[in-house]
Amino acid sequence: MQAFQNMTPLLANLNALAGSLFIIATFGIVATRQVRACLKFFILQSALLAASAFLLGSNPLSMHLIAVGIINLVAKVWFLPWLLRRQVEEEVYTRREITQVFSIPASLIIALLLTVAAYFFSLPWVKTAADAGALSINVPVGLAGLLLGGFTLSTRREAVPQLLGILAMENGAFFAGIAIAPDLPMIAELALAFDILLLTFVVGVLTRAVHERIGSTAVGKLTNLREEVQQ
Amino acid sequence: MSKHILFNALQLLVVMGFSPLAMGVLNRLKEIVQSKQGPSIFQPYRDLYKLFSKDEVVAEESSWIFRVTPYIVFVAPLFVTLLIPVLTSYPLFWAFMADMVGAGFVLALGGFFASLAAVDSANPYGPMGASRTRMVGFLAEPIFLIVFFTVSFVADSTIPFIVQQQWVTPQSNFFKPSHILLLVAFVMLILAEKGRLPIDNPAGHFELAMIEESKELEYSGQGAALMKWGGWMKFFVLMIIFLNVLLAPWGLASTMNWGAVLWAIPLLLIKILLFIVLLVFIESSLAKLRLFRISEFMSAAFVIAVVAMLTSIFKQ
Amino acid sequence: MILFVLISIPLAAAALSSSSSQARFGSMISVIGAVAALALSGWVAVDVITSSKHVLVAIPGWIAIDALGALILLLIAVVNVTATLFSVGYMDFTTTGDSHRYYLNFNLFVFSMFIVPLLQEPNIVWIAVELTTLFSVLLVGFENTREALEAAWKYVVLTLMGAAIALLGFLVLYWAARQAGITHYTWAGLEAGAPQMSPVLLKAAFTLILVGFGAKVGLVPLHTWLPDAHSQAPTPVCALLSGIETTAVLYVILRLLPVMSAAPAIHANTWLLIFGLISVGTAAFLLLRVRDYKRLFAFSTVEHMGIILAAFGLGGTAAHTAAMLQIVGHTLTKSFCFYTAGSVLQMTGTRNIASVRSVIRRSPLIGVALLLGGLAIAGAPPFVLFLSEFSILRAGLNQGEYLTTGLLVFFIAIAFFAIMNHIGRMVFGSTEVGDPIRPYVLPVSSRMTLILAVVPVIVLGVYIPGPLQQLITLAAAVLGGRG
Repeated sequence: MQAFQNMTPLLANLNALAGSLFIIATFGIVATRQVRACLKFFILQSALLAASAFLLGSNPLSMHLIAVGIINLVAKVWFLPWLLRRQVEEEVYTRREITQVFSIPASLIIALLLTVAAYFFSLPWVKTAADAGALSINVPVGLAGLLLGGFTLSTRREAVPQLLGILAMENGAFFAGIAIAPDLPMIAELALAFDILLLTFVVGVLTRAVHERIGSTAVGKLTNLREEVQQ
Repeated sequence: MSKHILFNALQLLVVMGFSPLAMGVLNRLKEIVQSKQGPSIFQPYRDLYKLFSKDEVVAEESSWIFRVTPYIVFVAPLFVTLLIPVLTSYPLFWAFMADMVGAGFVLALGGFFASLAAVDSANPYGPMGASRTRMVGFLAEPIFLIVFFTVSFVADSTIPFIVQQQWVTPQSNFFKPSHILLLVAFVMLILAEKGRLPIDNPAGHFELAMIEESKELEYSGQGAALMKWGGWMKFFVLMIIFLNVLLAPWGLASTMNWGAVLWAIPLLLIKILLFIVLLVFIESSLAKLRLFRISEFMSAAFVIAVVAMLTSIFKQ
Repeated sequence: MILFVLISIPLAAAALSSSSSQARFGSMISVIGAVAALALSGWVAVDVITSSKHVLVAIPGWIAIDALGALILLLIAVVNVTATLFSVGYMDFTTTGDSHRYYLNFNLFVFSMFIVPLLQEPNIVWIAVELTTLFSVLLVGFENTREALEAAWKYVVLTLMGAAIALLGFLVLYWAARQAGITHYTWAGLEAGAPQMSPVLLKAAFTLILVGFGAKVGLVPLHTWLPDAHSQAPTPVCALLSGIETTAVLYVILRLLPVMSAAPAIHANTWLLIFGLISVGTAAFLLLRVRDYKRLFAFSTVEHMGIILAAFGLGGTAAHTAAMLQIVGHTLTKSFCFYTAGSVLQMTGTRNIASVRSVIRRSPLIGVALLLGGLAIAGAPPFVLFLSEFSILRAGLNQGEYLTTGLLVFFIAIAFFAIMNHIGRMVFGSTEVGDPIRPYVLPVSSRMTLILAVVPVIVLGVYIPGPLQQLITLAAAVLGGRG
């Protein structure tokens, strides 16, 4: 937390801007109709995460945060879409519509309520810090990203948007993390990047298997294992 | 004091005089972007001149509303110009007559009467367009309110002049997230309120798809001239609110002498030109939304405005 | 040193077994590796018991093992041995994927579980738990049927969602530690510096980690993936998942207890109690309605996780020690139950309870094993789970928590009735008249595994060897025993 005492107001404002755009990008993930647009918003969200890391690490210069930003850019903005494309090609790069549980305006309103809840819950946490600085932006935005990712996860019935929901949740946790723990050991960051890529690979393989088995990736249709269904 | 009144009158003249020019430039630029030549930028003036010298034909079944509406639509934006900083950064004579909420009401009054007149004329396309306009307006109202609320919460007042001085002029506030997000939400609002793409296509002739344009269908002669001119002035006023109150209050006269005030006119026109270029860019890259997708567009604007509000309130 | 050797064994086994597509080769390598790992774990446990501070350190601040970790490590190694042994005769790779994929994933999964108790820095522990999920997903979906893929998908989605929530919890924990000026960010360091940490942040971290990892442990209401995943996976994998993986994640949650006890306002114990009771109750009632016997055992896992959590919520040395014994007992018993279930599946080819009747007449071995397994997991004497559950209830009564104890008794009774009802009908029920009884002979490895697995379940119910008792007591002491 001492690291952020020297942030100029301009950097603080730019960071705040990155935070707000992060929330907007997450709203985009929640509310888009097409898989491809969902992926684009996710890439935007990851880029904003990297931007925030760069901003927070610029003054005073923290190589650690810069490295975090670079890892994020490489892993999520470049590598992940490529990996997804290789695993699940037709699904990602067609303009198919996603089945959603709620309509888009309703989803947006619920997402808004979740964001307000995130701010509400995280404010006491931020107050415990001596000088809030970047924490007052990153922690609420991060928690909001987490909740919104979870919401996306629960209201989609397609494989790739659910995967993007999981990754958006991790993005949110990370966004809070770069302000909370700027000096996390480097091994943790590298392991995390590896974990994300492994995640995508595994889920990609699974998605392909599902696709082969039932002919589409609408995992919402897999509902055989229940107690209530009478055989 | 008398200078204030004179400056006010000058503001009115500027708005009345240059709004057709703004429209002409916008249309010409859109055509140029589409690789056509386009009409001359002074064409709206010629249209007004032609219409004023024509006879007016009024439907028999229409009532006094139909006859009164062109005047209301013409006067409402002029009323609002008295309230906002057009050329000067200090409040002029009538500036405290109404605040931003009042200005919003007055602008909405013109739109309200236009919708009534469209229903009044018994033309089948009129009420259809009027109901669609009302739908868009109803969705846009919460956004207006949130924008005003955020702005006045931060600046501690709802008078446009004070907002401009307190909030926008200090340089450090420019990149504040609430500021930038409000700008985005407001641009989306302008697109919706004035019937530009992606909400409505102002160049379309197909009555079944019209939203804003259908309000002017029935008018002819002087009535049509006033309706068109009033619409252009409303657009001009919205742009002025956006530019001078929210975005870039530079180039406004800060002293009382004539030179500064007159110099503010070309600067204002340059800012408006830049905004028109942005608008042309947006319009040329989007397609018109299906009618029920408009609610999604407006929800997106609403959400952006609320996030702007959140980030400004929770930082206090 | 020894810890490094220990964790490199499953890695080597994974690499070696994936190099050949011969099922025999892969299974042999895995079994050898598992036995070696068990030997080393036993050695580690003995070292921990006999050393003065009961801690074995490899890299200070990063890799070390104390009594609680040693206990979990030992349990992982035991289940690993029985699971690999069972895989030899059970896994038939003609319809499902290839053997080298299976053994590769299997050994990687075991590796990821081994490192969880070894790591001392909480953030790295999160990564280890995430790795256990990722390596087990493909195993759950191994049989490639529609149901298996559904189970694997629900598993991965719900668990990773929980992991993301827990990630934020760990970050907030790190925040609280940094704010309090704790320099050594390890479990021990956290416990030492706990009184200086901000209660607000501690509460937030605890809630997030409990909810997030609770999804992986199978706490209601985020348990919906568990019955599917733990029943659709191949049986040895089920044994690993139900027997020890949920316990390993529970271990991570339990590591937070001594830290939270420094801030009594959080009521950490109360939350554990509430969540535990809800899980036990829900599982007990759902047990009445199952129609698939592997799901039956999976729900029983949910039930026992709830009991363990509630026991830790009760607090006090007696309850903690009893809960530790419950952990040991559950791991051994549950893996045994799954082996019997796997044997029944091999024999009858169906998972449906209603279709399986009169097992004991077709194969006395499987019938007896199934009966013993059902009794053991339901908590009947003289099995080990009876001993531990009884101790927990007694500790609860001693502390005056009558409502909790009463509810626990009620739920355990319902579960007992449900399990015995289903198992009894499966073992003894009569088949249709005129159906010939075809005797069935299990593969040698399965028979060996069954016998091997049942021994500790019966023995520990009456006699707990000295070193094991010491280990359990030490492990309970690590968690403070206050509360």
